[in-house]
Amino acid sequence: MDKIIQIKNLTKQYKDLKAIDNLTMEVRKEEILGLLGPNGSGKSTTINCILSLLNFEQGEIKIFGKEMKPDSYDIKAKIGMVFQEVAVLEELTVQENMDYFCGLYIKDKKTRQQYINEAIELVGLEEFRKFYPKQLSGGLLRRLNIACGIAHKPELIFLDEPTVAVDPQSRNHILDGIQKLRDRGATIVYTTHYMEEVEIICDRVIILDKGKVLASGTTDELKELAKIEEKITVEVNNLQPQYLEKIKKFESVDKVEYHGNILLITYQKGKNNMLDLMDYLKKENIKYNKIYSERPTLNDVFLELTGKELRD
Amino acid sequence: MFIHNFKYTLKALFRNKMLIFWTYLFPIILGTFFNLAFSNIENSEKLEIIKIAIVENDKLKSNTIFQEAFETLSDEENEDRLFSTQYVSEEEAKQLLQNNEIIGYMILEEEPKIIIQSSGINETILKYVTEEIMQNTKMINELAENEIQAEIAIGNISIDYHKIYQNVRETIQQEEANIKNIAKSNLSYTMIEFYTLIAMSCLYGGILGMVAINQKLANMSDNGKRVSIAPTKKGKVVLSSLLAGYIAQIIGLAILFAYTILVLKVDFGTNLPLILLLGIVGSLAGLTMGLAIGTVVKANEGLKTGILISVTMLGSFLSGMMGITMKYIIDKNLPILNQINPANMITDGFYALYYYDTLDRFYFNLVSLLLFSGIMLIISYTSLRRQKYDSI
Amino acid sequence: MTVFRAFLRVLNKGKATIILYTIILIFFGIFNMQTSENSTNFVASKPDILIINQDKEEGITKNLMDYLKENSQIVEIKEEEQAIDDALFYRDVNYIVYIPKNYRQDFLAGKNPEIQIKSTGDYQASFAQMMLERYIKVANSYQNNIKEETQLIQKINETLAKQTEVEITSQLDTDHLSKATFYYNFANYSLLAGCVFVICLVLASFKDYKITKRTMVSSMSYQEFNRKLLLSNCLFAVVLWIFYGLLSLVLIGEVMFSIHGLIYLVNSFVFTLCAVTIAFLIGNLIQNKNAINGIVNVVALGSCFLCGAFVPMDWLPDYVLKIAHILPSYYYIKNNEWIKELETINYETLKPIFQNLIIILLFASLFVFMTNMISKRKQKT
Repeated sequence: MDKIIQIKNLTKQYKDLKAIDNLTMEVRKEEILGLLGPNGSGKSTTINCILSLLNFEQGEIKIFGKEMKPDSYDIKAKIGMVFQEVAVLEELTVQENMDYFCGLYIKDKKTRQQYINEAIELVGLEEFRKFYPKQLSGGLLRRLNIACGIAHKPELIFLDEPTVAVDPQSRNHILDGIQKLRDRGATIVYTTHYMEEVEIICDRVIILDKGKVLASGTTDELKELAKIEEKITVEVNNLQPQYLEKIKKFESVDKVEYHGNILLITYQKGKNNMLDLMDYLKKENIKYNKIYSERPTLNDVFLELTGKELRD
Repeated sequence: MFIHNFKYTLKALFRNKMLIFWTYLFPIILGTFFNLAFSNIENSEKLEIIKIAIVENDKLKSNTIFQEAFETLSDEENEDRLFSTQYVSEEEAKQLLQNNEIIGYMILEEEPKIIIQSSGINETILKYVTEEIMQNTKMINELAENEIQAEIAIGNISIDYHKIYQNVRETIQQEEANIKNIAKSNLSYTMIEFYTLIAMSCLYGGILGMVAINQKLANMSDNGKRVSIAPTKKGKVVLSSLLAGYIAQIIGLAILFAYTILVLKVDFGTNLPLILLLGIVGSLAGLTMGLAIGTVVKANEGLKTGILISVTMLGSFLSGMMGITMKYIIDKNLPILNQINPANMITDGFYALYYYDTLDRFYFNLVSLLLFSGIMLIISYTSLRRQKYDSI
Repeated sequence: MTVFRAFLRVLNKGKATIILYTIILIFFGIFNMQTSENSTNFVASKPDILIINQDKEEGITKNLMDYLKENSQIVEIKEEEQAIDDALFYRDVNYIVYIPKNYRQDFLAGKNPEIQIKSTGDYQASFAQMMLERYIKVANSYQNNIKEETQLIQKINETLAKQTEVEITSQLDTDHLSKATFYYNFANYSLLAGCVFVICLVLASFKDYKITKRTMVSSMSYQEFNRKLLLSNCLFAVVLWIFYGLLSLVLIGEVMFSIHGLIYLVNSFVFTLCAVTIAFLIGNLIQNKNAINGIVNVVALGSCFLCGAFVPMDWLPDYVLKIAHILPSYYYIKNNEWIKELETINYETLKPIFQNLIIILLFASLFVFMTNMISKRKQKT
């Protein structure tokens, strides 16, 4: 049984808005699945439906092979959730918050304390046990938020945009932690609209938009979907239009854009493009400051699929 | 789980400074203000010794009845003393009046005349007493005249006029009005202020339950989502959180009771068990009201608290907190409004215990409170029993 | 203008509370100013009484009732024992007279029948009792001698009808002045609560504002920013004062257009200035937005209850009034009370009022001084 979650034909309607539209997907054991999509694409709604917090009009959700209902306590016990908003009690310290939420899962006090210690260590909050949430910075709060969600060692963990508005140090801490959790044997569903994060940690990605699955697969598989294979950026001053026309006619060039002093060239195929370009620039005696090549990102994939940017 | 959730809910409530200020400290502060401001009102409404002056002139000196009457009424050893009297010249009296040292003065000419600054109860009493003396004089004269006529009629020649006058005067003065006061003794209406204070505190306390529950419902808070996805029965969480809110409320109420009874010396009557019962049931009404507002109104906690406070303050206002007359006006003219007002149910319950000997009215209020709590619970239940939501 | 516009934005957020304070003022203003009898002629005070007659309303019984009715205000109350007891408790009626069955018969037989009463024990009730006793004594005295009922009634009434001449010296419109004093005493709450609430809210908001939107004020020095903030706050306070002043013209009427009215306005203006300094002091001490409402109520209600804004000064215990001396509200309210009794206006009579105004201003400077001390210490740390 390596399918942890199976969703079939899920549809959720908010009054006039179809938040989830006939969605079918699955989550496999011990993978980090990235749910990628812009704000309002239905990521959080999908998770809330899976967790049985929301009613839905249509569809079937199975977790660990069993249908998920509000009183499926055996399933709930194995799930951990990290919410988008920091959900902790203001009046309780870090330690107390952990103990309270973990206590809803683990009855035995000794085991509980041990689990809490492990979670606190995982997110690196050892020195802040006695602190109140108000005294923590945004990044530390996020870490506490995560610790509260995963302390009871769940087999299935949902993380709903856990890195929004987090400083780089905390972000790295969080991403490291997620990978450690997977290494311990957990299955992880990770939603975000930062494609860089997805590229770093996700084994598989599902791209959502308007409540529908646009595409799914590994990052590399997805990038195949983008028609482009290489992007070259050149910093150059006062480039004459006739040169632009020339470059456009190069082999496998998809598009050429020139704004300010940035020249952006996208290629459909990614071989020797950089060398050819540099040769040409030298030949025409055009001076440039910087030149670098990029592989396409998931943003380009998204752009290709929907015609709009992933980020607002 | 029940105890685990209870323990942390209580802990979180007690550490919420704003909440504790409004539910614990504010009623105590307000009660202290009430006490400072109202403790003397009822004494001020008792008849005070009225400061007057009488102009000393020949007329007065020759009129023993006036002289003696004012002397008796100004005598410091007389229990029914009304006046503190100065005997002065007319000029001095005018001066005293202008300086507000006396409320008025009497000058005896052909007839007595009273000079005062403005109308008022003390002025009316001075006028009234003066009239009473005039009326007495008239009565003595008439009755003595009658006696004399009667003596003459039976042929008595050696009439002792003076003695007859004396006798008539004495009989008139000894005349007793046979009046018996049957009013209940507990008439201190400022107590109502403190009863409304307890009522306010009971209902305010609903905030505690409301906040506790809000943290546990997925459709109300992010913490609620976290609690909802845990493998715990919703009913258990709700009940144990409510109990925590209720306990916090009862502790606050106990402190307030202790403070009002021991420090402010508020008189709740003598039936302590029923007083406490009313407090406990009143708090239940507050708790269930908080629960109903918390579960039915979909808004942030600030707005919900605002609604609860507004409802409480309106209820307290109608039950007499900002003026005791308000309660009476409503009770008299629109009783239904106060019969559905939980603040008044509590206030009126205490009033019934304090003022009335029978308990009918008390039990009526107690049952009303239970009914109110029941209705609030039913309202909350329809929203609470949902496990999944259409939107969160 | 940026500061002022931002100030208005904060003010807009707090408008509900300001409106609430104003409604409270208007409501209590109207609620407590209903009685309006202008009295430069003597008007006898009449206690509120209720007569429950269990005898037939005839002869001597009727005469007793007529006498009571004439000298008191008869209150309409449902003839149910509970309604009557409620009425007594809430002082709807001060004195209740129960005329027993067969009163007429027993009285004429010289039995001096017992009359039951219920009394609140206050001065009105005492006065009612005096009247009742008076009547009974006179009636009893004549009853010993006159056996024929109509003659007896005539004699009693003739005796009780004797009146004293009364002369009133004061020409003050005491009724309207009492209203004005009541209104301005109550304004102590609205002015103080309004100023403290808004200014604290503004100061607390600008604390966040300065950090987050530094760019907006970067063109301005810190001192200039502070000065503009102070100006905006003062402007608000003055607007509030003008508004409450105009409101008093509407509610109280002509008295406000006299010299007395002018003194009320001056007094309240000086107090408004003082309220602003109090608000600044509190605003500098308290930075937590959530705490503002609590502080406002404790400060405003406290000074109102202690200084006699709600309950007249005469009725407050002496020790409370002694404590009240440490609060500026005391001097403000004391002034309102004095204005009410101001018969002639000259230097001598105005002197105590000026003294109080100076005391209020001294309080204000003390608060300014304290605010400066606190903000200086804060800057150092």
